Formats: sequence, C-alpha cells, structure tokens
Amino acid sequence: MLKYIIKRVLWMIPLLVGISLVSFLIMHLAPGDITSNESAFNPKASEESRQKLREMYNLDKPVIVQYGLWLKRMATLDFGKSFASHQKPVFWQTTDKDGNVTKGLIQEALPITLMINLLGLAITLLLAIPLGIIAARKYLGWQDRAITLFNFIGFSIPGFWLSLLLMYWLGVVNNWFPISGLHSLNYDSFDTWGKIKDSLSHLFLPVIIPSITGLAGITLFVKNGMLDVLHQDYITTARAKGLNEHKVIYTHALRNALLPLITIIGLSIPGLIGGSVIAETIFAIPGMGKLFYDAVLMRDFPVVMGILTIGSALTLLGNLLADLMYAWADPRVRRGVVKG
Amino acid sequence: MTNAFSSFTQSASIVLVTLIISACGSSHNPSTSGPDLSKPYPSEAGGILISAMTAEPSGLISMIAGESASSAISSNIFNTLLKYDKNLELEGDLVKSWEISSDQKTIIFRLKPGLKWADDKPLTSADVLFTWQAVTDDKTASPYASDFQLVKKAETPDPLTFTVTYAQAYAPALDSWAGLQILPKHLLQGQDLHTTSFARNPVGSHYYKLDRWTHGENLKLSRNPNSVLGQAKIDQLITRIIPDNSAQFLELMADNIDYMGLDPIKYSRIIPARPELQQKLALYKELGNSYTYMGFNLKHKPFNDVRVRRAINYAIDKQEIIDGVYLGLGINIASPYKPGTRWSNPALTPYPYDPAKARQLLKEAGFADTDGDGILERDGKPFTFEIITNQNKEREKSAVLIQRRLKDVGIDVKIRAIEWASFISRFIKTGDFDVVVLGWGLGLDPDQFNIWHSSQQAPGQFNFIGYHNPTVDQLLEQGRLELNPDKRMKIYHEFARVLLDDSPIVYLSAGYGLTAIHKRVKGIDDPAPPAGIGHNSQDWYIPQPLRRNEISQ
Repeated sequence: MLKYIIKRVLWMIPLLVGISLVSFLIMHLAPGDITSNESAFNPKASEESRQKLREMYNLDKPVIVQYGLWLKRMATLDFGKSFASHQKPVFWQTTDKDGNVTKGLIQEALPITLMINLLGLAITLLLAIPLGIIAARKYLGWQDRAITLFNFIGFSIPGFWLSLLLMYWLGVVNNWFPISGLHSLNYDSFDTWGKIKDSLSHLFLPVIIPSITGLAGITLFVKNGMLDVLHQDYITTARAKGLNEHKVIYTHALRNALLPLITIIGLSIPGLIGGSVIAETIFAIPGMGKLFYDAVLMRDFPVVMGILTIGSALTLLGNLLADLMYAWADPRVRRGVVKG
Repeated sequence: MTNAFSSFTQSASIVLVTLIISACGSSHNPSTSGPDLSKPYPSEAGGILISAMTAEPSGLISMIAGESASSAISSNIFNTLLKYDKNLELEGDLVKSWEISSDQKTIIFRLKPGLKWADDKPLTSADVLFTWQAVTDDKTASPYASDFQLVKKAETPDPLTFTVTYAQAYAPALDSWAGLQILPKHLLQGQDLHTTSFARNPVGSHYYKLDRWTHGENLKLSRNPNSVLGQAKIDQLITRIIPDNSAQFLELMADNIDYMGLDPIKYSRIIPARPELQQKLALYKELGNSYTYMGFNLKHKPFNDVRVRRAINYAIDKQEIIDGVYLGLGINIASPYKPGTRWSNPALTPYPYDPAKARQLLKEAGFADTDGDGILERDGKPFTFEIITNQNKEREKSAVLIQRRLKDVGIDVKIRAIEWASFISRFIKTGDFDVVVLGWGLGLDPDQFNIWHSSQQAPGQFNFIGYHNPTVDQLLEQGRLELNPDKRMKIYHEFARVLLDDSPIVYLSAGYGLTAIHKRVKGIDDPAPPAGIGHNSQDWYIPQPLRRNEISQ
C-alpha cells in the first residue's frame, strides 16, 4: 500500500511538468501580453515604455526560454510576482528590507474561496443526502417527484440571475442581508460575536446560491446509489432477518449507497479552490475565480500559471485521495489495489 | 476594464432590473419619514462619502500603475504642480505662479511656501525634481514618461523654485505637469518604484490620506490635516470595490453607497421610473473628453479614396446611433475636441445623413451595382468589408446600425467583436483590419500628434489607421511649438477642419458621463461646469441631519 502511494506521488511530478508546459504554451499562444491592457491604449503612453515593460518581465524572450525561467523558479517553489498588481507575490507573502509585509495574491484569495466552497459543500451534502434517501424510499411517489422538480428548477436557474433577484429581495426591499462584500464597513468596531454574525450574514447568499444550484447532481447520485443498493440481496436478507426499516436503511443500505459520493468529493477538491467568477463578481468577493479570470484578461502570466499549477497539483492529489478513500471504504477495491 | 463577462451580466441584469421594476415597483413605498433632502442646509464639515469602483487599483503611484482606478484614488492623495480650474484653464496647485522664458523653452515654477507632506516633513522643489527623475529614470517603465523625457535640464535653484528646460518649445508641457503627481523624496529615495510598499501605503500632500486598504474590499481615506490647499469638508472617503455594475446599483438603491457612474438605461429609464429613487438621488450629466468613432484602414483599398470615406460618412445616420445606443445621451461632433471648449472649432458641422449624396460619391469613385444583387462593385469586386471592435456593447450596437445604413447604399458589412488583448495585438498592431469602431479618451491638451502625425504609424503606435496628410503633420508640429493659447487655438481649429474634410474617421458620438449622487451630498455644481462636477469635490458637504447613522466613526 505504501509503495503504491509513493509510486503515485512520484508519478505526479512528470505529470505536473507536462501540465505546466502545456498551460504555459497555451497561455502564450493567446495574442497579447500585459502591455496590451486597456490603459495601454492611452495616446500618452508610448510604445517605448511598453517595450521596456516587456523587457522587464522577460516577455521579449522566446516562449521556451520564458518557460525555462519559470521552471527554474518553480524548482525552488517560487511562484514569482504578479505583473498586474504592483508586483505582489503570486503565492505567499514576502517581507522587504524595511520589514513591510506584502501578502501573496493566492494567500489572500484562497482562504475566502475555500471557506465559501466548504460551507457550500457541507450545506449541499446536508440537504442532498436526506433528500436522496427520501426520493429513493418514496421512489415514484409524490415526494420523489417533488424533490426531482425542486432539484431541476434549482439546476436550471442561472446562478447570477437568482443571485441578483435574491440580492434585490433580501437586500434592497427588505434589508435583511447585506448585498455584496465580505464585511460591513464598520466591521472593526464590532465585538467577536458581532464579527461572526456580520461575516455569516455576508456569506449567506454567496454560499446558499451555489448550494441550491449544485443540489440536483448530488441528490440524484444519492438517490440512484440508494435505489441500486435497495434491490440487492443483502437488503432483502436484512429485512428478512426482521430488522426494522430504519436500521435497514441507515445502517446497511446507506453506507454502501454513499460509496460513489467519495469519488465525487475527491474530484471536487480542485473545484474547492477554483471559485466561481460569476458569483465572486456579483457578490464582490475577492476570491480565486475573480483572481484567475482577471489574470487571464490582463495576461498576468505568473498568476495564471501559479493558479493552474496549484490547481492541477490539487486535482492529482484529489484523485489519489479519492482512490485511497475508496480503498479504505470498500474492501473489494482494497484487495484489487494491493494486487495491482 | 471592459470585458465579455461583465458586459454579458450587465445586459442580462439590465433585463432583470427592468423586470424587477415592473414586478415589485409598488412594494417599496417612497418613505416620507426622515429628514427633507431637498431643502437647503448650511455647509459644515464632517460625514462620510461612500462610492464604488469596479476594479481595484494595482497601486497608488499612478505613473507606474497607469490605470484609471489608480489615479481616481491617488488624485485625492497627491498634488500636481498645476491643475485645471472649473473652466479648464490652468492654475497653480502646488505652485503659486509659473513663468515661461522668452524663448519659450524654459518654465520656472515657484512653489507655495510652507508646503508639508502628511507626515509633517517639508515639501520642496527637491521632491519635484525627484519625481521628474523617477518618471524619466531608465529603470522605471512608466507609460507616461515620454512627455517628461523631452525635458533637457531640470534644476532646483532654491527650495521653492523648480525650472525645466526643453530642447525646443513644447506647448503640451504645462498640461503634462498638471498630470504628474509629486511624490515624497524622503520616503522613496533608493526604492524601486515597481515594487515599493509605498504604493500600498502612500504619504501625500493633498486633501486626503490613505487610512486603510482592505484588499479586494475597500479603501478608506480620511482628511489630511496637513493638506496644502486647506481642508476638505467631508471627513472620510470610502471607496468600495464592487466589480459588477448591477450589484453596485443595488447597493445604491439600498443606500449603501452615495455615488455611482450610470449607463444610459439606468439614467434615463430605471431611475426616472421609480419615485423613491428619484426622491433620494440627484442625477448629473457632463460631457467627457472622449468620443466613439469608426476608423478606416487608409492603407487598404478603397479607403484610400477620400470620396469613398466621405460617402460612408454621409451614409451613416449618427443621430440614430446616439438615440438608439446612447438613448439620446450623447452629441454629434465634428472635431476631436470636447464641444464648448476653446479647442473645438465652432464653425465646423458634422456630415449630415444624406444617402443620396453617398450614392453619388460612390458612383464617382467608380462603384456600380453591375450584377443587380444590391451590392456595389468596382473592377468586378463587390464592396464588402469587416468592422472589428472590442467586446463593448455600445460599440457593437453602433456597428449594427452602421451595417444597416451602409447596406442601404449598397455596401456589405460584417461585424466582429474581439477580446481586448487579442484585438490590440492581433489586429491593431499588425494593421490587419479594414474598419474599426473604437473610442478615444483624451487629455485636456489639444496636442494629438501621437494619433494623427504620419510619423506615428509603427506597430504599437497610435496612428494605426495610417493617416498621412502633410498639412496636418505641419499643423501638429506647429501646435506643439506654440505656447500662446490664442495662436494655438487657430492652429487646432484649422487642423480639425482639414481632418473633417479628409474624413479618415467617422465621428459617431461623444457620450455624456452620467452620475447619480445621493441628495444628502450638497455643494455640487449643477449644471456641471466644463471641468465636470468633481472639480470642487473638496467643498461638497453632508449636513449633519442627513448623515448615515449606522456607520459610526
């Protein structure tokens, strides 16, 4: 088992280099660079100054040389500095000679996105599992149909549209929740409890909306898993033993029905750091999605590459983790793994 | 910055907001409680003004940052040597007076005495010299360096005097000194301007100082007690970063921000339709220093033929574009200058909409519909071209209206909208286009050498349409050498006349800048003077009874 893990982890290194090379090339294939942003179309800004900027960032060198420079930096885990944000460090904070700390872009954005996505995932699971179980138990009954209908409405509604509607209704008409942002302007003057309340009320809409729209998929997974399991012989056996229905469903059936969820959660790990551009833009949340999107538009290569690298490393780790969890949860897979 | 996504949500949300208005219009009664917003209040100091911007500044040294978000904030923190008054005439900001030598090559700036930085250190001509050295330094990649590189010699004979000498007289010089924010030498000496933490923690001399910058959320400025120009009325300026326009508007409706730029739909449809918004928001419109145009690639046939360019100019109904795209909130222009200012030639009139004349001119240029398919041909080739524009809703809509009008006279037009960075590097720089729909945002100086002079056609320079007219070249050169405003005015009036006659671009519209400000903010000039409503923002005030009570200091 340990040998297997080590082998998998070592394999990730060439894979990561390959992924980064492809991303680097694709990014540079897109026309334009940091000097072709909107402010560079100012008649006062000269082409010489743009050329100077290109030289400063090595953008005048061939792409493969630029990739070499990037790889050399990455070997020491140095993600570099952003072109577009006054050369803020891409990943983690740096301290200059006067002791001024400059925080990293990913360092600032990641906790926010992670918190929103983890809360969202927790809420989705908390709702989806019971809903899936009910739908499976009352299969084709009105409860099942109602849940399916609700899920599909949630799935079909465009997130940004629902967001704006709820922002209007809960924020403007009723003033129950803040409309956008992460904190109130006078956040610092609150006591601890007030700060928690303020943060939670700001997070309510950004968390609840993706949860509603993401509910459909997971509910269906749970429902189908449950339906499969409920028709297995061992469930019939359990019932025949005279176990009460509650025990049959929650002890015997549910554990097996949830197995596929492990894969899904494993696969959603890279999504947890990704963040949604649309939600973050609408709710004015300085998270990873907006950071990445702006970096692509500004051709801020170090930031784009930094996020892609961390994202692909996490995807590979997520896959590994999902496989391991699966092996841990399912003896059949475990035996297969050991043999392989 | 404009991009595909925001314009998408924007248009979608316009539909949404319109829906909301019809659906819930009645649920929100205009409250008659609370203080009366419309009665006059005496001017008093205090209060907080909250505004919003869509993008976060990258840093607050605007000569490095280069983007408008940066200068919007830093112009409250840093002074310049000169500034424009409400009528767009130059006046002293840090300087008490300035003199121009008789050979017009040297400018002597005399600083006001007793100037101080926010940290109590004296502000002297050494700081000005330092700033000039910083912007022209070879290691600094400032997009705005070129004006200052023309300075041959800069000296500080004493702490209150700063002199610059140019190799030859340079008329836009004064305007350039009105744009350079003076930085403190004692804090920046020996630092790399591109990486210094000063950009996030600046010390200036203007009305406000930066209190706190919460990354991605807001910037808080408070009054600078050392302000060199006296005290502003409002205590605190808070700028929230809200990337989405619709979210900004919802915040404005909910009274969480005081100040926001509007698009024409919000200005002329949404707000007037809602009494409770009309009651609390004052709307302002002012002509900006920018215009939208359709530009021909003059190196491509048949656009090298002036008759064809004029024909297309006659064939386009500009008023239709102003009414349809800008809901009437724009004006038709005939020169590349803001109407009503000194530089705009009042004798010029735009090309009228005259399809008959357009057909006549096209016929003279040798175009005829020989195969009867409704499209003109010359030498057997149909007259067809592609308009490219960046993904900007208003420009795309203008292109659609142009497409229809040109079809009427027998020209087949296709439209393509392209993401900005690709647009610039793939099409504009390479000159690989027929016709563009774009806009120019200009400074206040009339010099447009970089845009129209024939020497400015290299890739990355701004005469990308390839305009070449010896008369215009000569006028532009003259205009740069002439410091007398009246003589200069004549030069640029003549320049605009030749340009209109040559029709290298079709002026489509100069749009109004539209703003909504909560009525609790008093002291705003209405109607806006030529310099815009912001020219006296230091005198804006928020009377005590109208202040928000939920935000304590």
